Amino acid sequence: MTRIWSWIALTFGLIYFALPLIGTVEFSLRMRRGEYSFDAYRKVLADPRFQETFSYSVVMALATIVFGVLLVVPTAYWVRLKLPRLRPYVEFLTLMPLVIPPIVIVFGYLRLYNTSSWLPLTGTTMGTNLLLMFGYATLSLPYMYRAVDTGLRSIDVGTLTEAAQSLGAGWVTILARVILPNVLVAVLSGAFLTFAIVIGEFVLAALLNRPAFGPYLQLMGANRAYEPAALAVIAFAITWACMGLIQLVSRFTRHGRTA
Amino acid sequence: MSFLNISNLEKSFGPTRVVHDFSLAVEQGEFISFLGPSGCGKTTTLRMVAGFETPTAGRIEIDGRDIVRLRPNQRNIGMVFQSYALFPNLTVGQNVAFGLKVAGASRALIRARVAEMLEMIGLPDLAGRYPFQLSGGQQQRVALARALAVRPQVLLLDEPLSALDAKIRVSLRAEIRAIQKKLGITTIYVTHDQEEALSMSDRIVVMHQGRADQVGTPFQIYNTPATRFVAGFVGALNTVQAEVIDPGTGRVLLAGTEAVLDRALPAGQVTLGLRPEMVSLGPAPGRETVLRGRVVEVDFLGAVIRLKAELGGEVLAFDTFNTSQKAPPRVGEEVSVSLAARDLLVIGPPA
Ligand SMILES: Nc1ncnc2c1ncn2[C@@H]1O[C@H](COP(=O)(O)OP(=O)(O)OP(=O)(O)O)[C@@H](O)[C@H]1O
Ligand SMILES: [Mg+2]
Repeated sequence: MTRIWSWIALTFGLIYFALPLIGTVEFSLRMRRGEYSFDAYRKVLADPRFQETFSYSVVMALATIVFGVLLVVPTAYWVRLKLPRLRPYVEFLTLMPLVIPPIVIVFGYLRLYNTSSWLPLTGTTMGTNLLLMFGYATLSLPYMYRAVDTGLRSIDVGTLTEAAQSLGAGWVTILARVILPNVLVAVLSGAFLTFAIVIGEFVLAALLNRPAFGPYLQLMGANRAYEPAALAVIAFAITWACMGLIQLVSRFTRHGRTA
Repeated sequence: MSFLNISNLEKSFGPTRVVHDFSLAVEQGEFISFLGPSGCGKTTTLRMVAGFETPTAGRIEIDGRDIVRLRPNQRNIGMVFQSYALFPNLTVGQNVAFGLKVAGASRALIRARVAEMLEMIGLPDLAGRYPFQLSGGQQQRVALARALAVRPQVLLLDEPLSALDAKIRVSLRAEIRAIQKKLGITTIYVTHDQEEALSMSDRIVVMHQGRADQVGTPFQIYNTPATRFVAGFVGALNTVQAEVIDPGTGRVLLAGTEAVLDRALPAGQVTLGLRPEMVSLGPAPGRETVLRGRVVEVDFLGAVIRLKAELGGEVLAFDTFNTSQKAPPRVGEEVSVSLAARDLLVIGPPA
């Protein structure tokens, strides 16, 4: 009995996820009347604005990941090592971006950092990019922090730190050579989620008026028929490629987990 | 002036004081054990030497230099942990090389030192393995090599063998001692296993409730315990009540029999201690005091048979060696046992 039910559940799930995907793929191939073709993809990929916005978002995503790792790994490490009693509060704090809508965050940013404020970040393109990156880092904070904290749980942070200290290592060395390599897989899964969030993000980029992929997707969706479907499929493929990469990396860095 | 000097060290966690006025002078190359029951402050004291805890008061000097203000990574003290604490992302070779790399040693030196260390711990072929591919005993040996590779001034070990099974424990403790002697490194070894402490150490510090009850060689600790706690904690001990008849010569009435301890005793009742191996079944040369009684318990342990006999209201445990010629006495059998009165320890009142 339970067997049958689990099969039904599985089938239902598969249909639930696969049908829209199949539908989208099918639709994206129908640009030429009466036959399947890759015309929509060709058009999308040839669009200079696609290339611009996509590479902009990729660069922003990478910057966000680097910033997020530099912020979250030392913080989560320090909280685990020295302030274990604060851990629930810090964790709660990192969950805030999930309950505060991005639009609130961005209006807060605009109030604090507008051109007539004490730190006029929005006055320059670079400043706005920086602000956008901080925004992205905030949005991905819950995922990054959880991933890293889970990674830290799987190693004995305190003793490894002391072992490294007794061998002469300072904090930077400990973080770079002991802590980070041991939570790398966790960091990567956080990085992947960050990447996915940044690539698809609309509100922050639109309101800060930066040429990101999210607003471009929205623009295409509002004005074209077949191209958005092709874009969606491309975005989906990128996501799956990321996941495959994570699997690969975690396979190569498995040592220690089982010890 | 000794090499490692700990003076009047104290440590409190909030209102609770866990180490009281701890002083110890360790000579260069000496092997010292901290021995004591769980929670007596061994680890805390060791961690203050390593720099992981800040003393509430007191001084720690190495080679005449006060190190209390130095951070752990500036102290040049090697540490081996109960949980091995090998870096899981590094191979055995990289683990051993870690400290040298941090210190910026040349590649040639690192390679030579790693090879030398792995040779020393008897694992020359395992440089490329990861820690999770090693047994517990192997991991702990690698941890030892890692700690020693940087040639620290002092080596600290916190119950390094207690996660291992009994056989490995015995062989590894001999190995650790041999390496320590060969390198002549000043060592502090924390354990709650008295056999370990007795067999490895130059001197033992018996700790009790945050104090050093006694510091001495294994022979001194075992044969002339300074406090009631030391007497009871190290080795098996019989305690018997005796009445002092003549305080000057130490004549006592013990289980209905007179014995002369040959040293001054306080008047009245005393508690006397006696190791099981100081009592023999039947008459024995040099053991002039003979007591009669009845066997109440027989424990056949193989090489040794542990007996308990009731003698004039006192129960004494003692050992005899197994022989195939003669079966051990049975429970209820009448026996006589002999002991030498000068082997009796006077146990002070409870602290
Ligand atoms: N960080 C701490 N905060 C508060 N109390 C502590 C702390 N560390 C140790 N203690 C207390 O100090 C006392 C001594 O602890 P310590 O770890 O030194 O004992 P130990 O002799 O090493 O015992 P064991 O044989 O169980 O390892 C214990 O009562 C312990 O509860
Ligand atoms: Mg301890």
